[in-house]
Amino acid sequence: MFAMPGVGWLLLFFVVSVYAVMAVAFGAVDPILRTPIPAWNPLQWNARAMSSVLHRVFGGDLGTVFVRTFWFVGLSLLGCILIGYPVAYFVARKAGKYRGLVLGMLVLPFWISYLMRMMAWTNLLAPDGMVNNVLHFLHLQGPQRYWLDGNWYTVVIGLVYGYVPFFILPLYSTLERIDGRLIEAGRDLGASSAQTFLRVTLPLSVPGLMAASVITILPMFGDYYTNTYLTSGSPKTEMIGNQIERYLLGTSQPQTGASLVLILMAFLFVLMAYYLYTTIRQQRLADR
Amino acid sequence: MTSSRRDFLARSVQLGALVGVGVPILQACGSGSTSAGKRQTKTIADGLQPEKGPLRILNYDAYVNPDVIKDFEAKFGVKVEITTFTTDTEALTKLASGAVKVDLHHSMAATSINRLIDGGLLQPLNKSYLSNSANVVSKLQDPWYDKGSTYSVPYTYFGTGIGYRADKIDKATVEQQGWDALWKATSHKGKVSVLDDEREALIMAMLRKGVTDINTVDPTIINQAQADLSELINLVSVKVNIDAYKNLPDGTAEICHTWSSDLINAANGYLPTGAEPTILGYWHPPAGKYMVTNDSMGVLANAEHPVLAHLYLNFLLDNAVAEKNFTFTGYLPALTKLDADYVVGKGLVPENLRNCVPTKDEIDQAIYERPLTTDGDALYEAAWSKFTAGG
Repeated sequence: MFAMPGVGWLLLFFVVSVYAVMAVAFGAVDPILRTPIPAWNPLQWNARAMSSVLHRVFGGDLGTVFVRTFWFVGLSLLGCILIGYPVAYFVARKAGKYRGLVLGMLVLPFWISYLMRMMAWTNLLAPDGMVNNVLHFLHLQGPQRYWLDGNWYTVVIGLVYGYVPFFILPLYSTLERIDGRLIEAGRDLGASSAQTFLRVTLPLSVPGLMAASVITILPMFGDYYTNTYLTSGSPKTEMIGNQIERYLLGTSQPQTGASLVLILMAFLFVLMAYYLYTTIRQQRLADR
Repeated sequence: MTSSRRDFLARSVQLGALVGVGVPILQACGSGSTSAGKRQTKTIADGLQPEKGPLRILNYDAYVNPDVIKDFEAKFGVKVEITTFTTDTEALTKLASGAVKVDLHHSMAATSINRLIDGGLLQPLNKSYLSNSANVVSKLQDPWYDKGSTYSVPYTYFGTGIGYRADKIDKATVEQQGWDALWKATSHKGKVSVLDDEREALIMAMLRKGVTDINTVDPTIINQAQADLSELINLVSVKVNIDAYKNLPDGTAEICHTWSSDLINAANGYLPTGAEPTILGYWHPPAGKYMVTNDSMGVLANAEHPVLAHLYLNFLLDNAVAEKNFTFTGYLPALTKLDADYVVGKGLVPENLRNCVPTKDEIDQAIYERPLTTDGDALYEAAWSKFTAGG
C-alpha cells in the first residue's frame, strides 16, 4: 500500500514513457508530415530502423560517436572524481562551522540555468576571453589558444563544470556519515594519514563514490547542449545526444532517434545493473 | 484505412497526455492532422468582421518586430500571442499533433508548405482581404511551392552564399574561388562554418563540384557531397551552425556558408563598437546557380480567428510595415518596393552588402531546394549524420 505512489510514479514516468519510445522506434512515419506513427501493438512492430541503427552503431558512423561519447563521459567522470572527492572530503570532515556555508556555495550554481552557465563559458573561453587573458598574464600560454574550436578538452571541461555538484553532494553525504572513531582507530594503530585514508576512509566511501558516479554519468551520456555551446557544432566533438536530438527534432526519421535512445538506455542499464549488484553485495557483506 | 489510423492516433493522444514526454513522443501520441478542431477547407467568406482575438501566431523567436506587433494590436484593438519554435520540423510536429493551437504560421519553409497543405493543416486564403499582395515580388506571387499563392503569402526572402571577413580575406580571392574558398581557408582553421541544414550544406558541396540537379536522390552524388564536406573537418576544423550573423562580426568566424540576410543582420546589429560594415563581405553564385528561397505565412485550417489572421497577413505585406519589420529582423520582405536600390539608398543595407539583396534576375532564375520523398530525405539525413559524426 505504501509503495503505491512509487509504483504509480514508475509506471507513469518510466514504464509508459519507455514504451512510448519503443512504439516510436518500431513504428512508422507519416509519409506527408514526416511525423512518427507509433506502433503500440508489439505484433505490428517493424524493426527496420532499429536494425539499421544497430548496423551503424556496431561498425558504422554512429559507433564512432558512441565511442567518443564514452571517452568524453569517462574523462569527465575522472575530472569529477579528482575535483569532487577532495571538495566533498573537505566539506564532510574539515569544514567545521563553515560546512553550511560551503554547501550553500556548492548549490549556488543551480540558481542559474545550465544553458546560461554554458553561455558564460563561451565568453570566458573566447579568444579574447578571461581564461586566455589570465593564462597570458601568468605566462602559462604562448600563442592565443582557441578553446572553442571543436576541442575535446573544452567539452570535458564543460561537462565536469556542469555536473561536478551532482558528484559532490551524494559523496559528501557518505563521507559525512563515516564514523570518526574508525579513522581515529586507524591512526591509533599506527597508520599514517595517507594509509588511514587509503585503508579506512576510501573503502568506506566507495558506496558514495559509486552513487555519485552513477548520478553524474547518466545525464552526461544524454547531454548535447554542452557540446553544442562549447564547440559551435564541431563534427569532431559530436556526442550521441546530438544525434538523438537531430533525429528526433530535425529529420524525417524519428524512429532512428528513438532507436538510439533505446540503445543508449541498454548501455546505461548495464552500468546501472553493475552498480546495483555491487551495492547489494556490499550491503550483504556489511550485514554479516 | 485512413480513418482507422486517425482513430488510432486519437486514442494515442490521451495516452500521450499521461506520459508527458518530449515533443516527438508527444507527436507520436498526437491526434494526427485531423482532430485538432474544426477545419476550414474552403476560403472564408468576403467582408467578414474581424474576431476579437487574441490572434495566436507560431513563429521563430525574434523573427518579427515587436513594434510591428504593437502597431497591429493598436490598429485592430486585439492582443497578439506568439508561440515560438526552433526548427521547421518542430513547428510541423507541434501543429500536426495539436500540441499548439494557433491561427497563423508566420514562417513556413518553402519545402514544408506542400506538407502542410497535403496534411490539411492550412486553409486556402481569401484574396479579398489581401489587397497588399500586389506588393509582393512578381515571381513569388505565383511560387513553385504554392501555385497562385493559394495557401500562403511570402514573408521574407534570402539567398545562400559565403559570408566572410573582408578585412581578413581578400574579396577577389573569394570571388575567384567561389565555394572552393571554404576548402581553401586553411589559414583560417577553426573559423570556418557551414549551415546546420543537411540539404543546404550538401547542396553547396554539390554546386562546388558542378552538380546542377540539386534535388537529386542519387546516392553516389549525395555520398560524394558528404565526403567532400567531411574533408572540411580536418582541413579547416569546420563548425556546423547558423550563427554567422554574430560569429562573423565578433571574429569567432571568418568565412561561413550562410544566408545573405545574416550579413545584413551582422552589419546592422552585431558589429563591435567602432567597427565598420566594410569588414564584412558576401559572395554568391551567379544567377541560375544561386539558391534564393523564402519563408511564407499561412492561416491554419483550424484557426479560431481566420479573419484576423488574414488582416495580419495583409498588414505585414504593407510596404511601410514591412520596412519597419525589416529594421528589426534583418530579413528582407519579399516586396517589390524594397529592392536593393531602395534599402541601400535608405541606409538599411550597407553599400558593400548590396549583393545580399537578390536582384529580379537572381530571383527569376533561382534554383530551389524542393521537397523529396521519405527515402530521398533519408539519404540526405544519413549523409548528414555521417558528416556531423565526424566523417
